[in-house]
Amino acid sequence: MTNVGRAPDNPLHSKLKSGDISFWDDLRSATDAAKTFSEILALSTLRRRALHLKLDRKPGTNPRPIKLALLGGYTPYPLTELVSHFLMTSRSPVDAQLHVGEFDNYAAEIMEPDGELAAFKPDVVIILPAVARCRYDGPLSDPQDAQRAQAAKTATDLLQLADLAHQKTGAPVLLANFPLPAGRDPGAFRVRSAGSDWTFRKLVNLQLGLEAPSHITLCDFEYLSARRGITESRDDRAWFQSKQFGSADFVADCAREIAHLTTARLRGPKKVVVLDLDNTLWGGVIGDDGVDGIVLGDVDATGQAYKAVQKLMLEFKARGLLLAVASKNDLDKAVEPFKTHPEMVLRVEDIVSFQANWGPKPDSLRTIAHELGLGLDSFVFIDDNPAEIEHVRQVLPEVDCILLDEDPARRVLQIQDSRLFDITSLTAEDAKRSEQYRVAAQRQSLQLETRTYDDYLISLTMSGEISPFNSVDIPRIAQLIARSNQFNLTTIRRQEPELIPLMNDASQLTFTVRLQDRFGDYGLIAIVIATIRGEELVVDTWLMSCRVLKRQVEEEVFNELLRLARGKGLARIRGVYIPTVKNGMVRDLYTTLGFALSLDEPERREFVLDTAAAKPFQTRIAIAHRESPPKEKPVAA
Amino acid sequence: MQRDQVFVELQAVFDQVFLEPVTVTPELSAAEVDEWTSLTHVALILGIEERFKIRFRLGEIEATQKLGDLADLIIRHLPTKG
Repeated sequence: MTNVGRAPDNPLHSKLKSGDISFWDDLRSATDAAKTFSEILALSTLRRRALHLKLDRKPGTNPRPIKLALLGGYTPYPLTELVSHFLMTSRSPVDAQLHVGEFDNYAAEIMEPDGELAAFKPDVVIILPAVARCRYDGPLSDPQDAQRAQAAKTATDLLQLADLAHQKTGAPVLLANFPLPAGRDPGAFRVRSAGSDWTFRKLVNLQLGLEAPSHITLCDFEYLSARRGITESRDDRAWFQSKQFGSADFVADCAREIAHLTTARLRGPKKVVVLDLDNTLWGGVIGDDGVDGIVLGDVDATGQAYKAVQKLMLEFKARGLLLAVASKNDLDKAVEPFKTHPEMVLRVEDIVSFQANWGPKPDSLRTIAHELGLGLDSFVFIDDNPAEIEHVRQVLPEVDCILLDEDPARRVLQIQDSRLFDITSLTAEDAKRSEQYRVAAQRQSLQLETRTYDDYLISLTMSGEISPFNSVDIPRIAQLIARSNQFNLTTIRRQEPELIPLMNDASQLTFTVRLQDRFGDYGLIAIVIATIRGEELVVDTWLMSCRVLKRQVEEEVFNELLRLARGKGLARIRGVYIPTVKNGMVRDLYTTLGFALSLDEPERREFVLDTAAAKPFQTRIAIAHRESPPKEKPVAA
Repeated sequence: MQRDQVFVELQAVFDQVFLEPVTVTPELSAAEVDEWTSLTHVALILGIEERFKIRFRLGEIEATQKLGDLADLIIRHLPTKG
């Protein structure tokens, strides 16, 4: 076997030998990238060597001293070594002085009067409670109330202990919850009894997280164990031999998390996300490809991935982050998709500062910072281009950068895993708002039985968008026309080449409806093609996705038909129903909407509505109209 | 893997764990290295396991006295050739 050959010469070693102070930057990148316990431990030894040699740092990057007390039901080494390493190699380096409790003596250490813990005056107290004491001690068959009561007591006791540590030291407390048990015993029954380790630990963890006061931060070992895999995280030998709480790699995960949570308090939160446009918010180059040519939206897989990134950005905005754009583009071209592309999630009004120009991106970032009056250290810059990222990193090292993965499908998770957007604490206002929500939710659950269908529709907070056919939507429209069978009044199967001329034909009124509610975005779900014939508007095609039946989209389509007919001064709307094997569900649609039956033959039914007498429906959908993109590009003078 | 190759690999692990250079020899034992405490021992064993892609059974390490014994133990765990 030859795969365990000597490691190639490590550039970190040579930098350390030659006293190159960029060693520290490289050590940080290597630590960020390190995956296994041994890799991290080797880096930690290098770090200690550098400290031993008193290797200088770049000005302004000297670590801040911090005092950490670490108590718990496990042997603290090598966790402490790894935590120290992660702290010193973090974005805001910290030099930890440690007070380490005795193995499994944490309760006494916290409770004893005049103990070492208080005397140490820690800046942060870290408590890793013993999982052995997070168990139901009776049979699985005990009454669930008794099992739940013990879980509640376990959580309450731990929170009280953590709170006591806070009172004695004045320091914030990091309290670890419990990794999930890996063993299969007692089988699927584990979820049927609150006394099983599985359910019991989850109950305790839930309560710890939901009830911890703001000076206690939960260190989510449950999540970390699930993320690595619960069997990978467990190591009985490490427990028997050296009282470790898990496998070496899991211990490293936990150390990284502890260090992250410790330094998160020292770093300010991120406030601004600066976004590139081409190949970041959409696929392709707007300047070359135009609004019709960029890849974005539900019609194909890649377009969905770009849309998903935009949706994530909109979530960030809802959380209070500011969105800005820094793009190398002509401003008018860059802004056009925001105004007219129907699949754009982000709109012009979502962007607080829009920098599209041909200057260097660091200048654009500076301009944004100046406009907003915010420090660049609260900025995150996101781009797909490594050269732009490198440029910003060099010129503005205080900005955190995300170089997007080449695969658009990986980007949402990549951004979510960057840890730059962690919510570290709720503001008082947030807390108040969530309290109001909680009260409202309680009220709602009490009234559940008396709620009407209208209440339900209101609760969906639906919003819809109606727009004339446009070239970007045509493929999706053709797709729906080809597939819809049930809610399809005439089942006329037009294909793309037949659809395109409709857009510029003044006798044809076309529109699509998009719908979203608080559970998600349904996208483009209804299509209408109507023809002006004399005094009448004849509805040639009306189809709808069955996912949104009974959501008042039918009424909104009716309203739109009425609005269009009146706009053109037409006296009547004529609805047509052509029966097929599958579309029986809409046989009487027009009559339920107030049309009068005027023709009733086996092959065709027609219905008429007098536009002067008709009234639009009030619905629970907030409708917006979107203008169509310019039909012809202006010719350059 | 030859026994001397095992020592080459062991040297690399020792270099990763200990601050002061320690030269590995078959006669070396924990008592002779100041930094080789019960704590760094954990790191050393994990480092060895990862480097050789082996896993010791509970109790095996405790039974070794000198580094030479440990090298023999490693060789016993390595997959034998063809």
